Amino acid sequence: MFELLGDGLVTMLQWKYLVPLCLGTLIGIVGGSLPGVTITMTIIVVVPFTFGLDPLQGLAAMTGVYVGGSAGGLVTASLLGIPGTPSAIATTFDGFPMARRGEPGRALWLGVWASFFGGLIGGAFLIFVTGPLAAIALEFGPWEFFSLFVLAMAMVAGLTEGSMVKGLISTGIGLLITVIGTDPITSVPRFTFGSEFVRAGFPFLPVLIGVFAFAQIMTDVEKLGRPGTRAAAAARASASLRVSQLKVLGEILSRPFLLVWSTVVGIAIGVLPAIGGSAANMLAYDQAKKFSRHPEAFGTGTPEGIIASESSNNANVGGSLVTIMAFGIPGDAVTAVMLGAMTIHGIQSGPLFVSQNPELAYGIYAAYILAHPIMVLILGVGTLFLLRVTRVRLAVLAPVVLVLCAIGAYALNNTMQTVYVLLTFGIIGYVLVKLGFPLAPLILGLILGDQIELNLVRAIMTDADPLLFLTRPISAGLLAAAVLSVALAMWQHLRHQRRVATADGETDF
Amino acid sequence: MKKISGVIASAAILAVGFAGSAFAEFPERPVKLIVPWAAGGDTDNIFRPFAAEFQKHLGQPVAIANVTGASGTVGAREAKNAPADGYSLYAVHDYIHLTYYAGLGDVKYSDFEPICLVAATPSVLTASAKTPFKTWAEFLADAKKRPGQISVGATLGSTSHIFPALIEKGAGIKLKYVSYDGLAPRMNALLGGHIDLTDSNLTQKGKVEAGLLRFLAIASPERDKEMPDVPTLKELGVNLVYEVVRGLLVPKGTPAPARAKLEEACAKATKEASFAEAMKKQGTRVAFLNAKDYGAFLDKIDGENKTIMTELGLMKK
Repeated sequence: MFELLGDGLVTMLQWKYLVPLCLGTLIGIVGGSLPGVTITMTIIVVVPFTFGLDPLQGLAAMTGVYVGGSAGGLVTASLLGIPGTPSAIATTFDGFPMARRGEPGRALWLGVWASFFGGLIGGAFLIFVTGPLAAIALEFGPWEFFSLFVLAMAMVAGLTEGSMVKGLISTGIGLLITVIGTDPITSVPRFTFGSEFVRAGFPFLPVLIGVFAFAQIMTDVEKLGRPGTRAAAAARASASLRVSQLKVLGEILSRPFLLVWSTVVGIAIGVLPAIGGSAANMLAYDQAKKFSRHPEAFGTGTPEGIIASESSNNANVGGSLVTIMAFGIPGDAVTAVMLGAMTIHGIQSGPLFVSQNPELAYGIYAAYILAHPIMVLILGVGTLFLLRVTRVRLAVLAPVVLVLCAIGAYALNNTMQTVYVLLTFGIIGYVLVKLGFPLAPLILGLILGDQIELNLVRAIMTDADPLLFLTRPISAGLLAAAVLSVALAMWQHLRHQRRVATADGETDF
Repeated sequence: MKKISGVIASAAILAVGFAGSAFAEFPERPVKLIVPWAAGGDTDNIFRPFAAEFQKHLGQPVAIANVTGASGTVGAREAKNAPADGYSLYAVHDYIHLTYYAGLGDVKYSDFEPICLVAATPSVLTASAKTPFKTWAEFLADAKKRPGQISVGATLGSTSHIFPALIEKGAGIKLKYVSYDGLAPRMNALLGGHIDLTDSNLTQKGKVEAGLLRFLAIASPERDKEMPDVPTLKELGVNLVYEVVRGLLVPKGTPAPARAKLEEACAKATKEASFAEAMKKQGTRVAFLNAKDYGAFLDKIDGENKTIMTELGLMKK
């Protein structure tokens, strides 16, 4: 195995393969950092160019796009507070506050190195435990998926700073949004009031960009010209762009448990088909907060938050390559495109893929591993320029970002429909922020809504007995974990409030 | 999602198109082939090797534009509204009949002129290795014993739903349908044993060889040379041939000389040995029909699809 991997690495280091891999990684980073451009879209653009290459060259380029794309999202997330891809949503929670506090370099590099380590640990899982992992994934039927999504929502609703009720309401809003439009099973229009605009539903990406970019920027714009902003602007301008790489590396490596656990969450979500990186980063963030000794620091620019989010989303890539390597079944849209490209080259994917095409399989593993240092190098050069964004005045930056978001939304379908959705949800998101509702649970509800419905309906179509959700062991375990997660969040909340109360009491005396 | 690659393809066509003279014989500039499904899907995998041969005989490059979305109806609409000058082709399969009757799209096969039938992919009734039945006979016996209990994963209202429904009718059994859109989720569920059966094709051969799936019966007229052990439904006593057929159409009103030229190039392309080789990997057989026969064939299967959709209660139009 190690010999094959060694051969794979040597092959991949030839110019013939290294060039497509580097180009792919670069394109992935660019695509990943543009809000509205997903990794799937980026890889679809790249695929036609790989038809002329040999299969491994093409796969190297696509693996590069996947790895680069998963890391690229952190750039916009940390510097602008807008997730470049859905898999960088949780990076905005702490990356952006840290950058705004005057440490954009630290925020960015924490993300880059966390992606690097997360991705490599994910790679180790991919190479050494593909078989068992994939076997577990197959055990997940509709009942288990349904319970898993319930757990995911229970976890993220507990993330909320203010009240858990607001978190749950926010999740509910997210779920309700997915109910509007054509239903995913029989295409019956729901809650459309006869309007063609509503009938098309509210696609996830324009809603995400609307809620995050618009709401984020509007809250900032509000403060323009108020007293105090001048000082803040001065702080921005003088923000230190320099970072001590050693310090950042130390910050990550001194938290091995956090790093490994976030990676495991990322892999687990990646191995299971259907949800992918967009959920993984939020769940890892939640876990980091639950295990942390100072959960109240989350959301204010703590390094743990960035590490959890970024290591999990790159580990997720390793996870989603597992099912494609083990069974030839794509776990998400990106791997589906990769699989299609393999078939065009006449490669039979399937359970025997690794044993029948070891050069190709280990070539992909090698490309995956090498893409990580390449990603760090590219971002290292890129940050020299990218960090300057934080010095641009908000009055100049805000309109540019908004225009880019609108263009990104338009490009999704080449229709104005998505731009209107962006606008609608920008306003809704802004109102929700003003009322103190957290946005992350809403987004998770939105990501999982269709899948929860689909799996619930599938479970009932397969067997009408509702008790199966409780009698199937994995499903029951997941539901129990969901209850526990809510209980833990409530307890943590209470403990925090009591501590604050005691602290107040002490000062009184 | 209208793919960016499509935009690039059209841009390339425009750029070259303007350079050509207006009086030369058709085709004087590259031709666009609209594939209504994503790059890497079965349809795309069949038409890419086809386009490579087709352009050789046409004498002009063929650019594939993957125009996807809404069960293939976005691509259908774009093809219907394309200029009827022979430079816009449409790669179609049976879904065009189904989406029309299911009310998913307003484009009908008769909005186009037939050029040729290219290939046919026989459907294969596939069982999970976790089911007790190893052969068609065992399956049939079990299905008769437990009507409505054996589950089939299917994209409701599409070919993967119609094929098992036709088997139900032919074999006199009753199955239970569970909604799984697309082959990949169905394969996941089948491997995990969460569904018992599904419609697939010979591209899944690898999983059968690894013992993870079982092919119970193939719906082709004769046994496939690649998988000679899989019996046909016909020899098992169910008179059913069900193949997903893919062909070329052009918008209605395309001039006859251009159509004749396209038909001729298609006939030659489908005779190429390398095309047959590529199709073998796709579990597909080359099935050429000329424009006249293809037109008659489309009329026939449209009627059949209408009947079956009515019987299944899926008719919206």
